[in-house]
Amino acid sequence: MVQAGALITDIGTSGPFVRVTLAATAIASGLAAGRFVLADLGGYLRAPLFPARIEAEEFDVLISPRHAAAALQPGANVDLIGPLGRGFEIPAATERLLLVASTDCLPVLLPLAYQNHQKPGFWEKPGFGASLREKPGFSIALLLSASTAAELYPVRLLPPAVEVTIVTDDGSAGQRGSILKRRDDLLPDLVRWADCACIAGDPATYLALAEIVREVRAGSGRRFAQALVVPPMACGVGACQGCAVSVARGTRLACTDGPVFDLLELR
Amino acid sequence: MTIDLAPNHKAGLVLANPVMPAAGCFGLGTEYARLVEVEALGALVVGPLTAHPRRGAESPRLVPTPGGVLLHTGLANPGLSAVLRRYARVWARSPVPVIVHVAGTAPDEVASCCRRLAGLETIAGLELGLPDTGDPDEATAIIQAAHASAGQPLIVRLPLVWADALCQAAVEAGADALTVAAPPRGTAWYAPGNHFITGRLYGPFVLPLALRALRRVAALVSVPLVGCGGIHTVEDAQAFLRAGAAAVQIDGAVWRDPACLAHVARTLSSTVEPH
Repeated sequence: MVQAGALITDIGTSGPFVRVTLAATAIASGLAAGRFVLADLGGYLRAPLFPARIEAEEFDVLISPRHAAAALQPGANVDLIGPLGRGFEIPAATERLLLVASTDCLPVLLPLAYQNHQKPGFWEKPGFGASLREKPGFSIALLLSASTAAELYPVRLLPPAVEVTIVTDDGSAGQRGSILKRRDDLLPDLVRWADCACIAGDPATYLALAEIVREVRAGSGRRFAQALVVPPMACGVGACQGCAVSVARGTRLACTDGPVFDLLELR
Repeated sequence: MTIDLAPNHKAGLVLANPVMPAAGCFGLGTEYARLVEVEALGALVVGPLTAHPRRGAESPRLVPTPGGVLLHTGLANPGLSAVLRRYARVWARSPVPVIVHVAGTAPDEVASCCRRLAGLETIAGLELGLPDTGDPDEATAIIQAAHASAGQPLIVRLPLVWADALCQAAVEAGADALTVAAPPRGTAWYAPGNHFITGRLYGPFVLPLALRALRRVAALVSVPLVGCGGIHTVEDAQAFLRAGAAAVQIDGAVWRDPACLAHVARTLSSTVEPH
């Protein structure tokens, strides 16, 4: 963990997101899906940024056009603190990885979606099962939700090998409904299929999702289902005690104990 | 340049630099180990601690406000015994004095904490928080309990709103120094949960309030004062020193820019005359 400047080397778009590429050698190599940096973007609190693509010396974040980082320009410097937190931990024995995301949270899971397309070396990063690359039978399914088709992240931008199921509130793309409204078919089928599930969405839905996981996968092991929880954070290092998350055995801090938690432990 | 925050205490509380982090902002001493040049500081202020573990407030604890943030932790901490088991050896290795902040919950609990800490040479001083009620009898009872039990110099952190009202009683009850002040309390509407949250306010807007309080306290007591509240720059810290503070504590600015602690400390060490 360091406090260091990052150089904005590129700005672009990726579906509904603005893509910002940050060159930060001291930080990028320690990032993984679900880990984050706190960026000084001018507000009183630093803003958490999650990598959507990670290389040895740089990383991309995909953010809403309304995000403060979307106003950055190539050549600008941003002060970062990171890498921070505990990311998604995919067991080495995983063969069927399920990703569940609302479109706005999808970028956090993208490093996982791309993981069997990365160059050697990527696999040894924290949070990734080192043996996954060697498994030809490894497969990834993504359950992606959005309000309408217009808000969706384009499926063509995802790795071809990822099996994508889309749900929109108005039925303008994929199946009509929401992940929770389709709790009797879509999600249970996928949960039954998977041997690891990573979730990034509205935490208000997590208790209901946990209920589904318990019904379908009774006795599933610890961290079978992992979920991202990102409350407002101040320090990022556990000093301010501000980013509390309620879990079965008390309270944990999103910045140091998370922001990825066992879905079944969340309260 | 050295500063003694407890010149009338047998042990004294000598700092090589007037800058330290504020309680509640720096954790227990290890959280910022990789981000802050601790050796540049005058002291570490760790805690707050209570005698028994406290789970703290439910989420959300943090609400952004215009120009700052509201934080309500509910004094979340593992309790004094657990903290000492883990951190006593860490504090012993600290290159600067360690000041433990004890939450002023009730006289009995405060006395229990201070007794437990009294024999620990690795702790150079105690800072005592007070309830925000402004009740002078309650404050006096808590300070007297701490003073009677503490072996180390005792700094009392005054509530901002009641700083001038309580400062003389605090000194009479045994405070060796005063921190002016604790972050003020405020209330924010938390729309997603449809409820209010009350907590401490951090941000640059606190500085004029704390500076005013410090000037009023400085006119009333003669013990060393530690200025605290909204300090984000060297100039902010200098304003407190000019107003009569012997030292300063940096609070929420540490979260935004951990490097600012050492920056302010190094700059002041070369420019500030002893109080």
